[in-house]
Amino acid sequence: MRRPGSGVGGRTPPVLRIVPALLLLLLTVAGPLLAPQPMDRPVTIPYAAAGADGTLLGGDQLGRDVLSRLLHGGRDLVFSSLIVAALVTAVAAVLGVAGALRPRLGQVVERVADVLMLLPAVLGILLVTLSWPGGGRLALVVAAVALAIPYAVRFMAAAAAPVVVTGYVESAVASGERTWHLIFRDVLPNLRSTVLALFGLRFVSAVYVVATAAFLQIGPQPPEADWALMIRENSPGLVLNPWAVLAPSIAIGLLAMSVNLAAGALSPKAERT
Amino acid sequence: MAGSGIAAITRLAWLLTRRIALLAALLALVFAVVEALPGDAADATSERGESVADVERRRVLLGLDQPVAVRFLRWMAGLPSGDLGVSARGEPVLSLLAGPLPNTLLLGGLALAVTVVAALGLGCWAALRPGSMTDRVISASATAVLALPEFVIAVALVLVFALWAGLLPAATLAGPDGAPAAWSMLVLPVLALAIPQIGWNARIVRGALADEAKASHVAAAVLDGLPSRRILTHHLLPGALPAIAAGVATSTGMLLGGAVAVETIFNYPGVGALLAGAVADRDTPIIAGVVALTGVAITCVLLAADAIRAWAAGVRR
Repeated sequence: MRRPGSGVGGRTPPVLRIVPALLLLLLTVAGPLLAPQPMDRPVTIPYAAAGADGTLLGGDQLGRDVLSRLLHGGRDLVFSSLIVAALVTAVAAVLGVAGALRPRLGQVVERVADVLMLLPAVLGILLVTLSWPGGGRLALVVAAVALAIPYAVRFMAAAAAPVVVTGYVESAVASGERTWHLIFRDVLPNLRSTVLALFGLRFVSAVYVVATAAFLQIGPQPPEADWALMIRENSPGLVLNPWAVLAPSIAIGLLAMSVNLAAGALSPKAERT
Repeated sequence: MAGSGIAAITRLAWLLTRRIALLAALLALVFAVVEALPGDAADATSERGESVADVERRRVLLGLDQPVAVRFLRWMAGLPSGDLGVSARGEPVLSLLAGPLPNTLLLGGLALAVTVVAALGLGCWAALRPGSMTDRVISASATAVLALPEFVIAVALVLVFALWAGLLPAATLAGPDGAPAAWSMLVLPVLALAIPQIGWNARIVRGALADEAKASHVAAAVLDGLPSRRILTHHLLPGALPAIAAGVATSTGMLLGGAVAVETIFNYPGVGALLAGAVADRDTPIIAGVVALTGVAITCVLLAADAIRAWAAGVRR
């Protein structure tokens, strides 16, 4: 048998596989500056077809410009996902290495991950945001981070295990160095590529979780422009102006796929949520 | 023979105990989350103009005036008998879930079955021709779809198959028994849920088969000139099964979580609609009940995966 190839993506250099995600992220962040119309005022009739009144993608359920709302609607999703991914990666990097250095802590994290496997992330976020009225976006971020940390710690601990048994770390442990010093000075500098890979994977699942939560009306509230919320709000007019639903769907789809492609370039082996 | 039978039973009993302990830990965690965060169900459902005394009365009705320890014991003790407490509006959570939950489990179960069959088929097909065009197309499309949110796929399916092609219904109508009225109404929701999981699991199957192909007994079978189909079913799949079972088990949670969003799009009569109402009412006991029962369903699938892993380990020994 021949050695397995790793798919189409395997033939493109890693740098090129990060480019689509970077371009899309840039467009999303700069989007509000490019919007041709105000995103919060009606400029045409509700569910106007594409092209009506000079709107490229038609109107939404209140007659607001779909294109302008599309250009506004990705920024919060991207920022929330970036914050979640960064926090999870930072905490997991420290806890994962600590778990590898201190096996008892590692076992606790393993058991917590086993328990959280029984809790689908979407339901966990519903539970936290509903039990915490007034928590707003903070509640969403806290829930998404808390639910993701155990798996991320597991991932880091597995990568750190071979490093902590190397001679120089063992001698540092034997000489009585403090744990935080071991983590930041001796182990983490050797795991830079693992941390980067973890960040990519966490960003992929953060986009999934934040978008799904927004679709379930957790997070952005009307009249905010948000891709997931646009899909939900404009579904009743799917026949009249499909673009009001299709355009944000394509946007979320492209974001998820390009970020996943980039994460694949950062990590040799995929790991899940 | 009898000895190994007893050993197998002991092993299964241990796996069962471990899973039940993890489930109990989840239920305690759910209680702790609801408890630790500010706000309770009596506050959440208060209507405008309602006096403080009215809220207090409902707090007593919901048992929220009791000490934490008493409520914790009541919550944990009620669960084995199916008592999930009462919603913020005073209805038993179990009877609220009795209609929609079976529909959601039907949706999730069908999606899981489709996922297993399609992922095994695609993964094996790709693995039989490593490096070929087929392999690359399957691997690349699997990677492309696995990160997509289910509701985005659902929208695309509705547009293509319901609105443009007119082949399948875009919305689910409930029959007199509360279940979906026709099988055709299940096709699009099941596909929307299954597609990302098929992508994920096809990659796991493909990867597990590739790992297994490095084993010496497989190389020996190849040298013996056995047909590749027989090598796949007799030499590769048995060894790859534990990894595949673990992958499918992680998909169960994704399927049940994603079902909430997909049900909303198709107007499917499952827990999604109930949860949407609970979100609007901030009805925590309903969410806690759904989380508890979802945990039970996932535990069952994980137990099956445990059993497959134990069986595979036994076969190898």
